[in-house]
Amino acid sequence: MQEFFQLPVFGVFISIIAFAGGRQIRQKFDYVLLNPVLLAILFIISFLLIFNIDFEDYNRGGKFISFFLGPSVVALGVFFYEKYEEVKQNLKVFLLSVAVGGISGIVTVIIFLMLLKVPGFIIESLAAKSVTTPIAIEITKLAGGIPEITAGIVIAVGIFGNAFGPFILKKLGVKSKIAIGTALGTAAHGIGTARAFEESKLAGVYSGLAMCVNGIITALLTPYLLALFLGNFT
Amino acid sequence: MLKALAYIFGFLLLGELITYFFEIPIAGNILGMFLIFIALRLKIIKLQDVKPASDKLIKYLVLFFIPYGVGLMVYFEIVADYWMPISIAVIASTVITLYISAIIIEKLER
Repeated sequence: MQEFFQLPVFGVFISIIAFAGGRQIRQKFDYVLLNPVLLAILFIISFLLIFNIDFEDYNRGGKFISFFLGPSVVALGVFFYEKYEEVKQNLKVFLLSVAVGGISGIVTVIIFLMLLKVPGFIIESLAAKSVTTPIAIEITKLAGGIPEITAGIVIAVGIFGNAFGPFILKKLGVKSKIAIGTALGTAAHGIGTARAFEESKLAGVYSGLAMCVNGIITALLTPYLLALFLGNFT
Repeated sequence: MLKALAYIFGFLLLGELITYFFEIPIAGNILGMFLIFIALRLKIIKLQDVKPASDKLIKYLVLFFIPYGVGLMVYFEIVADYWMPISIAVIASTVITLYISAIIIEKLER
């Protein structure tokens, strides 16, 4: 039976089915913690544990799915071009806000983790916690962290932003929909962007663009910021 | 669709090629994202030539990172040992990021 689960088609099939199932559940019960990705991941992990299947065996098929992250990141460039016109009038302010927000996100998480005495490889895995998962994974690989830890926490950050972001911002006195959108995209990538679209169409566009811009900024700066604070980048 | 896919994979390959030869610390796919944006801006390629593939890829973006999420199970014990400091640091940093980017654009937007 174990050999059967080593067939790549098993990993591919269970990933697709779990995701489709997760989406169905989300449609029936509109509750933020029922994020389709989270549900799919929990379902697959439970399945693997119950049937005693190694992650490596699952990933023989999983790899075919995650391969598409590469072209998806390129596709974000197309998305950015398409929506670029809509932020043109606020472009400079928008870029400033994403850059300062994004950099403070990297710096604060590194400092907090250092102060709390978390080991270096976890810090390297979490420096890019605010950006979209495929970009965060690449940053972690280059930094020498563990991409799987990155993926887990990045998804958690997205769900946190999606569930509490607008509430926190409104409590802190932020009113503009554009500001809420930009903040959600900068801090909580695609999952936050989904929430921004619920606030308004314009908030969603700003959020999607903020996600792309912060992805680039974070990819460019994280290696240097990690070197600056941890001092072991080679 | 085929043409669109060829463009997307072409720019991905170009990005990978540049990182491979110049050994710069940035991933090939991120470079590819940047290059395809520039190519569209400079009208080297047309939006309708890449849109069919890019729309589909973005639609299913979240599906593609499920295997990495599942991989967390391998590192579960390591993360569990530090769940408290990780939660504090990540949540505090996320709230700061949200607030700083929101407040800058709210104060300065037209």
